[in-house]
Amino acid sequence: MDPALCQLLMLRLRGGLRQRLLQLASLRGLLFSLAFGGGIWLLIVSNGSSITSLLGSAAQDQQAFSEQIITFMPLSMLGLSLLTVSMTTGPTFHFSPNEVNFLFTGPFRRRDLIVYKFGAYVAGVTLSSMFITFLVQPQTGSALSVFIATLLTLVFVQLNSAVIGMTGHALDGSRLARIRWPATALLCAIVAATVLYAWATPDRGIFDILSEFRHSWIGTIILIPYIVFAKLFVAPSISHLALWAVVAVVINAALLGTVIALDARTTDRSLVENARLSNRWERIKQGGSFWATQRTEVRSIRRTPIVGGLGPIALRQVLNALRNSFKLIIVFIGLAACTAPISLALGAPITEAQTLMTIYLFIAFILPRNLICDFRGDLSRMEIYKTLPIAPWRICAGQLVVQVFLAYVIALTIIASALVFEDSVTTQIALILAAFALPLTLLIYAVENTVHLLFPTKLIAMGRVDFEFLGRSIVEFIAKTIFVFAALAASGAVGLATFKIMGTTFVMPGLASWLTLTLIGLLTLVALQYAFRRFAVAETID
Amino acid sequence: MITVTNLSKQYKGFTAVKNLSFSVEPGQILGLLGPNGAGKTTTLRTLCGIIPPSSGSLLVAGHDVVDAPIAAKKNLGYIPDDPRLFDTMTVWEHLAFTAAAYKLADFEKDAEGLLASFELTHKRNTLAHNLSRGMRQKVAIACAFLHDPKVILFDEPLTGLDPQGIRRIQQAIRERAQAGAAIIISSHLLSLFENLCTHIMVLNLGECRRFGTMEDLLREVGHTDSTSALEEVYFSITQAPDQPSETAAV
Repeated sequence: MDPALCQLLMLRLRGGLRQRLLQLASLRGLLFSLAFGGGIWLLIVSNGSSITSLLGSAAQDQQAFSEQIITFMPLSMLGLSLLTVSMTTGPTFHFSPNEVNFLFTGPFRRRDLIVYKFGAYVAGVTLSSMFITFLVQPQTGSALSVFIATLLTLVFVQLNSAVIGMTGHALDGSRLARIRWPATALLCAIVAATVLYAWATPDRGIFDILSEFRHSWIGTIILIPYIVFAKLFVAPSISHLALWAVVAVVINAALLGTVIALDARTTDRSLVENARLSNRWERIKQGGSFWATQRTEVRSIRRTPIVGGLGPIALRQVLNALRNSFKLIIVFIGLAACTAPISLALGAPITEAQTLMTIYLFIAFILPRNLICDFRGDLSRMEIYKTLPIAPWRICAGQLVVQVFLAYVIALTIIASALVFEDSVTTQIALILAAFALPLTLLIYAVENTVHLLFPTKLIAMGRVDFEFLGRSIVEFIAKTIFVFAALAASGAVGLATFKIMGTTFVMPGLASWLTLTLIGLLTLVALQYAFRRFAVAETID
Repeated sequence: MITVTNLSKQYKGFTAVKNLSFSVEPGQILGLLGPNGAGKTTTLRTLCGIIPPSSGSLLVAGHDVVDAPIAAKKNLGYIPDDPRLFDTMTVWEHLAFTAAAYKLADFEKDAEGLLASFELTHKRNTLAHNLSRGMRQKVAIACAFLHDPKVILFDEPLTGLDPQGIRRIQQAIRERAQAGAAIIISSHLLSLFENLCTHIMVLNLGECRRFGTMEDLLREVGHTDSTSALEEVYFSITQAPDQPSETAAV
């Protein structure tokens, strides 16, 4: 690599380190970082109930776990690659606008720039690999093997995606490009046929079919490069590890060489994609979504419903959901629909406490972090809301209505999935769950928004090791969980008290419980209104 | 139309605006002039209800911004220095949104007129994130004009506009003032004040250092060439050592 680029890389790494240390220098940064460290420590010490056990009881057996890795990891990596082929439109190596301005105009060869970006990526994944090693080492035994395997696999994933993407770009406009969609359709048809076959034959599940494919001769040939990385993870000795690591390094080096060769044919496309991705990141920083529409023009809605001022705010979020997060909503609904079948396939029925906690984690942490159609995505536009002649409570309600509706639809999909696939979930139970899911969803998002307006912060981490951001996320989640569980406890207590007073039927206690939860949700809306009034728009004192 | 009495705004021990008093009547255009950190944006943001004042009274069309914010905001249009539009909404949807927020039943004709006057008609279905800085500025101004406000506040209105855009916006501001709106403009562009403003207020370190009509200021410096006169006034005030504040009402 060019010495100047090498120096730039070192300076950037030092800058990143300095930024983290500066975070630790402030009390808030230190506390959040400690919270993050504490959370990770808890995860590690609660060995029995942590990551591996979430994968099912088979994980307890080292031999069976290794078998699962050898069987399913190559398949997962192939799936990821195919997904990359069909979904990716972005650049394979993203250069930020300042890198384009400084480096593209500097005396550097494209090869050097690619190697520089690759170096930056390797530095980043080294940190990620160290973190993963720290996390899973207690379950696996050898820290060195986990670190090497993770590092080489992450590098492979990046390079493999880059080669696939660049090959696609290089073939654009050629005859071969025409088969992209028919090939995708054929693959989808094969997947659909496999799922249908698995559905029709009760004695052979989807995992059995995948396992058979993986161990067949054709599966082995297709998956050869991916099998190497699975072997790395389950290497029984240092000599095996060294052998597979050498093979993995050779594969990665070949991929890097291919990237450099392909780059010469895709430079123009790469520049366009870089600019597009940079714009996208700018939008994400302002609360947009990575999945947002790339279209320039759309058909405008002619009129907006007024509904006492609630209408325009709600419609703004409807458009936000449709044009910013539509694909994400579909993905989440798809995931929700698969909840019960996946949990059954993993041998952890949806009624088990551990599965329920995973679902809660999905609903209360993963979903709010990714699907954002409320105040949290609008912090940079708060001055618009502040100048509107609409009462604050209407603005707050308008902001929440779409987000709550979408999250409720996803919750209903999980309930429907449980109703269809779980024998223990009856229609009556499903209806009760559906009734309580609405106030619970309102409560979760009212709390989420209130906290965000009272203590506004960025929505995305600044780099891989933004411990302050990660710590804050954990603290917020714990605080929200305590509040939600306290509300549920209060609701349950009211229901119990009503049952003791009224006697035999469950209808009135259930209703009292539901009303209590709804009331708490509405009271949180009052708190949200207070937070909105109190919110200080970022000042540029001019 | 706009009456500000003893406005002060403090941030954690720092005073951004101190005892500011002035009024702007219908048809008048007041230019807020001052270096960075003088308190211009804070004054405008306090006036339009984005940030609460620490003390003082602010009346917009007779309504107190703090006590009757909804009534005050109904009469107010605000164009920020960096208009942050909703990136998933089209230009037309911004106008429709504004119409619904201000409860305007028949807005289409006015909206079409504004689109035409700001040369945005061909951009009506364009999503905001695809607009240039100047276009976004024009959309923000069109939205602010849609409900025909009695008070309009501009914060650096000409940033990012091309020469045609600048001329068009200046014309629009003049027309609004002639139609009876009270207007405040904050800017660093002295030429904008010379072209448009009937009154000038020079702010420095949160205090009013000079307030009066453009003629008063020119007479004070004894110049006939308004460009150099305003420049002289500006530098003599902002580079001079601290002077006692001088406030006045138009």
